Amino acid sequence: MTIFKSASAVIVSAALFGGCAPEALGSASAAENQAQPAAVTAPPRVNTQGLATLEFQNRIKAYLKVHNEAETKVPNLRETSDPAQISEREAALAKMIQTLRAGAQPGEIFAAEYQPYFIKIVKDDFAGRSAADRKALIWELPKNMKVDINTVYPTTLPLATFPAALLRKLPDLPPELEYRIVGRSLILRDVKANLIVDILRDVVPTIPS
Amino acid sequence: MRLRPLLLVLLLALSSILATSTAQIPQPRPGVPQMSAVGETMAPAGSDSVRFLVLGDTGTGDRAQFAVGVQVWKSHQVFPYEFAIMLGDNIYGSERPQDFARKFEQPYKPLIDAKIPFYASLGNHDDPNQRYYKLFGMGGERFYSFQKKDVRFFALDSNYMDKDQQSWLQKELSGSTEKWKVAFFHHPIYSSGGRHGSEVDLRAIVEPLFLKYGVNVVFSGHEHFYERLKPQKGLHYFTSGGAAKLRSGDIITGPLTAKGFDTEQSYMVVEIDGDVLRFQTLSRRGKRVDSGEFTRQNAGTQ
Repeated sequence: MTIFKSASAVIVSAALFGGCAPEALGSASAAENQAQPAAVTAPPRVNTQGLATLEFQNRIKAYLKVHNEAETKVPNLRETSDPAQISEREAALAKMIQTLRAGAQPGEIFAAEYQPYFIKIVKDDFAGRSAADRKALIWELPKNMKVDINTVYPTTLPLATFPAALLRKLPDLPPELEYRIVGRSLILRDVKANLIVDILRDVVPTIPS
Repeated sequence: MRLRPLLLVLLLALSSILATSTAQIPQPRPGVPQMSAVGETMAPAGSDSVRFLVLGDTGTGDRAQFAVGVQVWKSHQVFPYEFAIMLGDNIYGSERPQDFARKFEQPYKPLIDAKIPFYASLGNHDDPNQRYYKLFGMGGERFYSFQKKDVRFFALDSNYMDKDQQSWLQKELSGSTEKWKVAFFHHPIYSSGGRHGSEVDLRAIVEPLFLKYGVNVVFSGHEHFYERLKPQKGLHYFTSGGAAKLRSGDIITGPLTAKGFDTEQSYMVVEIDGDVLRFQTLSRRGKRVDSGEFTRQNAGTQ
């Protein structure tokens, strides 16, 4: 039963990641075999990329628990004509999450074992772009910006547009979170709290000047 | 004969008064464009048309934004638009409460006082939490749609075109029964800008939907100039991202450009009158730098 669950999870995560259909199908076949006890002869093939995505999604869920807990401890945010309420609420939520995640370390969500997949996705995406496109994308990125986990994204700096095609290739995120690129780093940002949740450094390739 | 000295005295007095008046008029400062007292905005042609103002890349809080703010209000006296759409970069830099005042509420105070609603889209300089600011009319959403008579407007968040937004857009477009479909968002998918250029990633995702579901016209900002593009696959595109910021000389006129203006800040007023859309583009000094009209692409079929 446990094996069956793992295999199903691989199929789901493979669908999320894309591009791993053959392996996922292999696992599906193994899963079917597991459902018929008499036919079990070999362990299922492991889709490491799919498993990595699944683990990533689990860590996202764990973060959301923290986010939701923080939300319950600060005033609700509704549409308002008073911008002070918006900024105060944003700051209060950020502070609450910072408190709840005190001691958070880089790699809590972008865990080391599956960082290579993210790096490969970003690098492959940039490699597939024209030089002009790469240059335009990189030109828009905030420069010389120091980013750190569990800190507020500087409100005076723009949020660089996230390339839509790259976004399609990365695992989905819930509306509370988004990917952003800062310098050469891929960050996870809490949208409502304007907080840097995790960082994957040296992901974006450099371009010759 | 006796009247001549009297006339002479009167003429001398008059010229003295004129000289004094002229001296009291503030003289133009070098490098600062002066606004004309009466702009070149034309009155709308339709009596029951949907009329709106288009502002892009506004939130600097600087002199240029205020000057454009004065001019858009002057335009309103001639062309009484009912609402304004904002094409992103609504607030540059810090977003403290005083920034909302200086970079939005003060420059457009006459419009806000006149209860002219704004509908904003998010730019790359905007904190997505702007969606909770009531005066931006976003209803707490990063992307949304609204209807004015027979026109549906789709405000997109082009900074972050994720699967949720794509699904939403497809659903909204397919369910829209209005005659006109107008999309607006920050990043132009066609542009002759030297600094940015066309946002091809975004184009690959949204253009097929625009074509499939009959979007008629698209307004974008991001580029700090005005550009009317030649229709692309039958769709009309305008870039109007110079309502405060200006990137002078950035248009690389090429096969995309129908009309470009990058020497002064600008904004647009638009009316949709039955099957016809009429537009005017005004400069910071109130000069009309472009105008025209086109008929709805699928007119006669709906």
